[in-house]
Amino acid sequence: MLPQILPKDKLADFARFLMGEYRLAAPVAKGHQFAFEFIETPEDVGRIRMDYDITILPPKKFLHPMYEELLRFGGRDPATGEAPIQAEPTVILGAHPYDLHAIATTDAAMRAEPADPYYATKRDATLLIGINIRGYVNDEQFMADMRTTEPPEGGWDLFMTDLGDRYYVEVGSDAGSKLHQAAGMFTQAAGDDHKAKQAFDNEKASNLPKRLPYDTRYLPELMSESYDSLLWDAVARRCFSCGTCTNVCPTCYCFDVQDKLNLDAASGVRRRQWDSCQLHTFAEVAGGENFREHRSSRLRHRMFRKGKFIYEQTGKPGCVGCGRCSVHCVADISILEAYQQIADEAAVSAMEIAAAREESQ
Amino acid sequence: MSQATQQPAEAVSPYLPRAAKIVEAKDFTEQEKYFRFEFEDGQGIEYLPGQFMEVSVFGIGEAPISICSSGGKRDDLEMCIRSAGDVTNALHELNVGDTVGLRGPMGNGLDMDAMEGMDLLFVAGGLGLAPCRSFILTALENREKFGRVTILYGSRTPKDLLYAYDLDAWRDRDDCEFLVTVDRGDDDWTGNTGVITTLFRKIDRPDAANTAAFIIGPPVMFKFTVLEALAMGLRKNNIYCSLERRMKCGLGKCGHCQIRNVYVCQDGPIFSYAEVMRLREGI
Amino acid sequence: MAESKPTISFHDFTSCEGCQLQVLNCEDELLDILGAVDIVEFREAIDDKADSYDVAFIEGAFTRESDRKRLETIRSKAGIVVALGACACTGGLNVLKNFRGLEKSMKTVYGDSADWYETSQALPVEAAIKVDYKVHGCPIPRQEFLEVVTSLLAGRTPRIPDHPVCVECKLRENECLYHKSQYCMGPLARAGCDAWCPSYGGRCYACRGLISDPNNQAAFDVLEEFGLTIDDVLTEFRLFNGVYDVSQPPTEARVEKQ
Ligand SMILES: Cc1cc2nc3c(=O)[nH]c(=O)nc-3n(C[C@H](O)[C@H](O)[C@H](O)COP(=O)(O)OP(=O)(O)OC[C@H]3O[C@@H](n4cnc5c(N)ncnc54)[C@H](O)[C@@H]3O)c2cc1C
Ligand code: SF4
Ligand code: SF4
Ligand code: SF4
Ligand code: SF4
Ligand code: SF4
Ligand code: FES
Repeated sequence: MLPQILPKDKLADFARFLMGEYRLAAPVAKGHQFAFEFIETPEDVGRIRMDYDITILPPKKFLHPMYEELLRFGGRDPATGEAPIQAEPTVILGAHPYDLHAIATTDAAMRAEPADPYYATKRDATLLIGINIRGYVNDEQFMADMRTTEPPEGGWDLFMTDLGDRYYVEVGSDAGSKLHQAAGMFTQAAGDDHKAKQAFDNEKASNLPKRLPYDTRYLPELMSESYDSLLWDAVARRCFSCGTCTNVCPTCYCFDVQDKLNLDAASGVRRRQWDSCQLHTFAEVAGGENFREHRSSRLRHRMFRKGKFIYEQTGKPGCVGCGRCSVHCVADISILEAYQQIADEAAVSAMEIAAAREESQ
Repeated sequence: MSQATQQPAEAVSPYLPRAAKIVEAKDFTEQEKYFRFEFEDGQGIEYLPGQFMEVSVFGIGEAPISICSSGGKRDDLEMCIRSAGDVTNALHELNVGDTVGLRGPMGNGLDMDAMEGMDLLFVAGGLGLAPCRSFILTALENREKFGRVTILYGSRTPKDLLYAYDLDAWRDRDDCEFLVTVDRGDDDWTGNTGVITTLFRKIDRPDAANTAAFIIGPPVMFKFTVLEALAMGLRKNNIYCSLERRMKCGLGKCGHCQIRNVYVCQDGPIFSYAEVMRLREGI
Repeated sequence: MAESKPTISFHDFTSCEGCQLQVLNCEDELLDILGAVDIVEFREAIDDKADSYDVAFIEGAFTRESDRKRLETIRSKAGIVVALGACACTGGLNVLKNFRGLEKSMKTVYGDSADWYETSQALPVEAAIKVDYKVHGCPIPRQEFLEVVTSLLAGRTPRIPDHPVCVECKLRENECLYHKSQYCMGPLARAGCDAWCPSYGGRCYACRGLISDPNNQAAFDVLEEFGLTIDDVLTEFRLFNGVYDVSQPPTEARVEKQ
């Protein structure tokens, strides 16, 4: 599966080719920002912006939709329930490496036994075509630390790098291979192309310095140490518990399940919708007890999910360092800053221990 | 890996409940109602004590409810449901012949065979008797496998006592010790009064290293009772409790029941006290 | 409520009637609803004739002492009372007239609210009678009205969100107004309108009231950093939530630790 070349002026044709067989989702401008949207008509292909900086919502919205029907019912009788699980063949074009990593993480979480067939069916019907990044696009990103600047081991089909007048296209799967062959617009990459890609990679690496003072191998452990830190209370004073940080996060997948009634007040659908551990009702039970009543415990839970728990559960990064949560937080609460601060605290406690030892000797 | 070209076989939804008919219903108290269900498909069910079901009323929602009958492979299962909100109120309106949707069994439960030869101490507070009863009945049905069996049960008032017929049966058995207390008695009450921890003074000291304890009830009750159990010398690994959390999926996905890195709906609801301590946010 | 057709009624107090218009706007749905319920009273202003209603929808603020009697009559005849719209839920825009000038300090806002109200005050319906459910908004979102009606018919609690407008705003993938150097009440306001205003370029004034655990401290900090004075912030709050502490007393359980 050798790398291929797609001339840039063929991108529109390629997009139209994809639309013949699949629903096509791609990045388009949304005001001054960007969003993944379905490209509905061949004319709309021109709206695709492969040079986007970052989208507001990650592509998870296609695999784990914000509202998703789980089953429908004709009335209270359980025999009236039915749960058709379907998916349309879809291509997500233009996912950045960190988003491909995030999809790998959600794949692992949703496919873990008992697997979620709604997600799995959609995922199986989806091809992923990635696009390379050149560097950070805001102050809140730290993909280099999270090792998500390059596409993950597998789970994607094609991966494109913009070489100016052409895309250098790596092939990640048999499906990807079939796809570029069927499109008939790709040629095999040659010596110059490889060199240009190498130059791109070198420049990219220099644009993506690490931003944390430690190797993120130690992040889960540092998180554990910070459990009782006042940091969480301090940061939470500014937190609105608005759920923006989790809604925009590519690796957040929590949901609520509610029954929606039709006007007959009997039939309806049971559906799930994105939920957020930051909202105060998330862990509240009948009778009013709330297991994460305080804002700080909710905020800490999110930080721990991202820095520790998801990784421990899936073996994949719980945070890919995309910076969305922090950029979109009205209160400017930065996960990068929090991860920096826990290192300072850990360093202090290590020093304190050393000092205490010296004293006792 | 993507396989967009293949049309996968239609998957079966783990959210689709099985229809179950109410074959027995009894009001225990004003708030608690007992139900026995049988599945409409005739397939029965197999579960461990400590497991629970998601009980579904279409149009209202779902609620996780512990199975209170003894574990094993069987045609029916029993529950005791307190009216606490929308779903549970709707369930209280149902009677024999009505159907509900059931998903499960869910959660870890506990295989009591692993405790063969041990003494068993059951401590149930309030509605905690429901999940606890599944362990108690399983133990009593396999009585020969276990050493001493002691059951302590605490309730707010005599009117709040659940499973009166079981309580009588346990009292009459001579192969188990059964003590009950109420926080506040009434004119007819001649038994123990006081919180459940007072019952610990009334039982013989157990063979601590060889005793498994099941302490199931509200968090406050657990905190005080676990102290008594530890004071008697019981091992943290041999003290079990059942944790309650908000639940939506029961499948380890929705995130609602999470305590740190543990999903109560999958890894629980039965935890040893050693595990609960490690969780820190458990109780 | 299950046996015969449930009866519902609509009652009008001080308002622009925009919310009843929203109800009438549910054209197709209304026909379905009419199949399931009997509307026994609609906008009978003077005397409320029917003997009883299963559900009484009350629209408009409580602005005259003379309204109290009528509200009490409705309450005594109704099984369930639903406040319809910002006016009924929080007093709505009418509350603005309660303020003569803007006090300088935050303390007055969160202090004893009694000081604010003198003659001809505008109050939520709740200030006179017990309200079971509230359909927030100015005007109310049609979907939420239908949700309340179908839920009550099905015998369940209506699902009214108690989380900030930001949730819906992000689901609609709007560019945040703060990114465009405008401020917005979204982080404190109750969702359920599908982030109506930010989706059409406007900012949120919290016409649906505040969530039950708003982080006021954060609001003042963030808005201040944003260059707003306390007075500006108070103006924002008061547009729709002047009676905040009357309509949404902070509950014991949700007081922050700190
Ligand atoms: C493992 C487990 C076992 C349980 N066993 C029993 C039992 O044997 N008998 C019994 O009466 N009750 C039991 N409960 C509590 C019971 O699940 C809640 O009382 C019930 O979910 C309330 O639902 P509702 O719709 O009536 O209330 P509402 O307040 O209307 O709740 C709305 C929804 O929130 C969620 N929710 C609210 N409270 C709880 C809660 N405590 N636990 C989980 N989800 C909640 C549910 O999805 C519920 O449908 C158990 C809970 C758990 C977690
Ligand atoms: S986006 Fe910011 S303010 Fe909102 S919940 Fe997250 S951290 Fe808190
Ligand atoms: S936690 Fe923030 S930085 Fe990390 S993946 Fe989620 S949105 Fe991106
Ligand atoms: S809430 Fe708004 S639309 Fe409804 S009556 Fe009052 S002012 Fe009019
Ligand atoms: S525009 Fe307003 S409602 Fe939308 S995210 Fe920003 S602050 Fe929240
Ligand atoms: S966005 Fe704010 S002001 Fe606009 S309708 Fe919703 S709650 Fe009201
Ligand atoms: S109930 Fe959904 S994860 Fe446990």
